[in-house]
Amino acid sequence: MKKKIYIYALLLAAFAASAFIQGCSSAKETLANKSGAQLWSENCIRCHNGPSPTEFTDVQWKTIGMHMQIRANLTSTEAKKIVEFLQSAN
Amino acid sequence: MKIKFILTAILIMNLVIARAQDSLQKQIDVLKEEVKSLKSDENSHFMVRGFAQFGMDATSSAMNFNMTSFNPVLLWRQGSNFLFESELEMEYMNNEFSLDIGYANATYLVTKGLSVKVGKILIPFGTFSERLHPSWVNKLSTAPLGMGHMDGMSPMADIGIDIRGGLQIGLSKLNYSFYVVNGPRLDDGIASPTDAGKLTFENNNDNNNNKAIGSRIGFLPFTNSSLEIGVSAYYAKPGSETSPFAGDTMNQNLNYKNVTAMLTAFDLTYVKQLSPISGVIDIRGQYNLSNVSNATYYSSIDSMQYTFTNKSSAYYVQFSYRPSMVDNDILRNFELVTRYSAYTTPKYSLWYSDQTQMEIGLNYWIGWRSVIKFSYQYTDGTIAGTGTSGMAGMPGMSNGRLAHATTPTTTTTSTSSSEMGTSNGYMFLLHLAIGL
Ligand code: HEC
Repeated sequence: MKKKIYIYALLLAAFAASAFIQGCSSAKETLANKSGAQLWSENCIRCHNGPSPTEFTDVQWKTIGMHMQIRANLTSTEAKKIVEFLQSAN
Repeated sequence: MKIKFILTAILIMNLVIARAQDSLQKQIDVLKEEVKSLKSDENSHFMVRGFAQFGMDATSSAMNFNMTSFNPVLLWRQGSNFLFESELEMEYMNNEFSLDIGYANATYLVTKGLSVKVGKILIPFGTFSERLHPSWVNKLSTAPLGMGHMDGMSPMADIGIDIRGGLQIGLSKLNYSFYVVNGPRLDDGIASPTDAGKLTFENNNDNNNNKAIGSRIGFLPFTNSSLEIGVSAYYAKPGSETSPFAGDTMNQNLNYKNVTAMLTAFDLTYVKQLSPISGVIDIRGQYNLSNVSNATYYSSIDSMQYTFTNKSSAYYVQFSYRPSMVDNDILRNFELVTRYSAYTTPKYSLWYSDQTQMEIGLNYWIGWRSVIKFSYQYTDGTIAGTGTSGMAGMPGMSNGRLAHATTPTTTTTSTSSSEMGTSNGYMFLLHLAIGL
């Protein structure tokens, strides 16, 4: 069992390292100039599969956007941009 | 001459029609815009979502149809700042139907980055309880050891108030949650001696004046939000104000008024769509620690007072990969997932256990939130009462293995600790979860 833990720890470290490198290279893009579509593709996959814009209507997206803003502690700007994108692309 | 006249007339008519069409089109466009803006600004909106699940598990000695539940989630939005959410848990387990409320609360978005939630809330202690427990979100059929509703060492839901929000700090993001809730109770062992010293969460009536306080701070260092690291803390005084043994001359010195419980958790999430591997990689983990101050308990089994160091810990790490970017329609709906979890309860308590569990699963996504999960689970370790490692009895699903198990509403349960935990041995699970 100890061995397994080591393997997991090693994998975790490898991913943390790759995440760090990736994160640094994308740091030029600030949150402020990200589009709603991009914020959607990055944030809405963090806990479950990301839903496609066509899944819900405009009114439903507004409610869901609020629900997810609260549940995932998204910033208000992110939530607003994502909802606007989803409403424009459904 | 005639022809010229007719042609001119047709030309004028065309112009008039074109004009009319044009203005009609404009009017339609304006109306469309109005309808759209009315729609999206609709003041009050009610919605029912949630999920239904059905499943079975099989060991060498038994096969059970289980995990049957229907969990509607009611959402009601009032304007742009107010949301009510509630989850009903209708469950059929071990031939018993139960109805419970997972959570029911109202949130008011006060200003950018600050909202207030009141009611029965999911506790943001780590990420599992608040973010991952719905069965269409959890990639495996069971909760990690020590993190389920019933065998859990940490709070899932409670009544109180939660102040939370997300902020942007430079290129990173920070999110926070501070809450005050009724808090846990310390089991005094009177009703069930083998549970003495355990914390029970989700009490509708508090047993003392002290509330539990807690917080989780999450940090997302990268602008692409792929990584989140969280730290949680939870503090409570779980004992009742007066000695539960009042009137019992032998034990009335036992008092739990000053017992304290300090819980901490660390969590990590990394989710990223990576084109070189044509899919999404999802890594997550959580480490829970519980430290309850020392107290003396009485066991009616052998009429003895005893004490123990009341520390528990649980952790899990999970990896999953879904080739969501490949062209093949079938292949991209498959997902591979593996999780390792461990749970240790206090060594000299009567509910001592020290278990590890390995689970490997293959999922097939029939929709973005409907999934068929097939998994193999192997649990190993020591459980108090059985004192064995290896195969113990398989008491059906009367334990915390369910990702979404019902919680007892009373603080005392007649089940002994050995039945509460997850049994050792292997198990196959097949599980269908449908998001509504
Ligand atoms: C921090 C984790 C997390 C993130 C990030 C997240 N979700 Fe969710 N989402 C959940 C959970 C948990 C549920 C289930 C809620 C329940 O049933 O209690 C859910 C439910 C949903 C639902 C079902 C309807 C509902 O509101 O319950 C939709 C639709 C949804 N999410 C869309 C999104 C979108 C769009 C985003 C991106 C802005 C997003 N989610 C980001 C955790 C998350």
